[in-house]
Amino acid sequence: MTTEYRGPELVRDDDLTRELRSIYAAPSDASWWAGLEQRINARLDAADEWWTVPERWLRVGLVAAGFAVIVAGALIMRAQTQVTRMAYETVVDPATIDILEVAERGKLTEQQATLRVLTGR
Amino acid sequence: MTVPARAERSLGLLPATARVVAERPADERALVLAAQRGEREAFSELVRTHERRAYAVARAIVVNHEDAEDAVQEAFLHAYRALHRFLPDQAFGAWLHRIVANAALDITRRRKVRDADELPESVASPFRDPAEASELRRRLQEALDTLPARQRAVIVLHDVEGFKHSEIGVTLGIPEGTARSDLHYARSHLREVLGSVRSEL
Repeated sequence: MTTEYRGPELVRDDDLTRELRSIYAAPSDASWWAGLEQRINARLDAADEWWTVPERWLRVGLVAAGFAVIVAGALIMRAQTQVTRMAYETVVDPATIDILEVAERGKLTEQQATLRVLTGR
Repeated sequence: MTVPARAERSLGLLPATARVVAERPADERALVLAAQRGEREAFSELVRTHERRAYAVARAIVVNHEDAEDAVQEAFLHAYRALHRFLPDQAFGAWLHRIVANAALDITRRRKVRDADELPESVASPFRDPAEASELRRRLQEALDTLPARQRAVIVLHDVEGFKHSEIGVTLGIPEGTARSDLHYARSHLREVLGSVRSEL
């Protein structure tokens, strides 16, 4: 991108400038500018309110999220304990292990069958 | 062609808005820092200091007074929200003008889409006393409306508001050379219109 202008000399046309300035004249009424300031400030106030509302909700949301994390953690721990207990019971519950059937099927002694069930081999 | 300042004043050729914010006031940095700390009164003071210049930038880009006001409001709101990103050692005015220009360009784009949908019968008129509107001014306004938005913005910022080419470049996000060539083409076009109207009247 070049920043050097190589065109014809830039000559200002005073008549054109005067006409442009009359077309683009800013409002000269001081009350209009005061009104503009008020309108801008009103929008800034609204923006401030908009930001403070989420701030309040943010606090509520953080508390709720913290509570949810605690509940979820408790539920996970409880579920894990249950799984562990079930696994343990599966291994040690005599009702679920038919040692004699294993011994008979594998032509093993009762001791060997118990060992096989416990080691899972 | 150079015109002495005194002569410019007598011809009414000095920029329409006095360049009161061209040089950064000594306490502007303090105001910006206070506003960044959340002091609303400090930001309101920045609004008071910069609103006229901001209006001038917006008015150079949009087609009417109402849109310029909307752009100024949008820009100050945006600046307020983005103030934490502004580095206080930079010129607040230049930063704000860029935001104003973007807001004005946004409005121009939205208006283009809306106008294309609505197919308006007349071109929006600028802010001025209807009694003052002359045939020449009407034709000049029409010619301005046919100029590409960037060329129109450049000629208004330069000839009406007294921006330097470098300032226009920063404000509109274009190279200085582009600002110069835009000014040349805009002036040529408008001078042509002005000449033909004068020969008819």
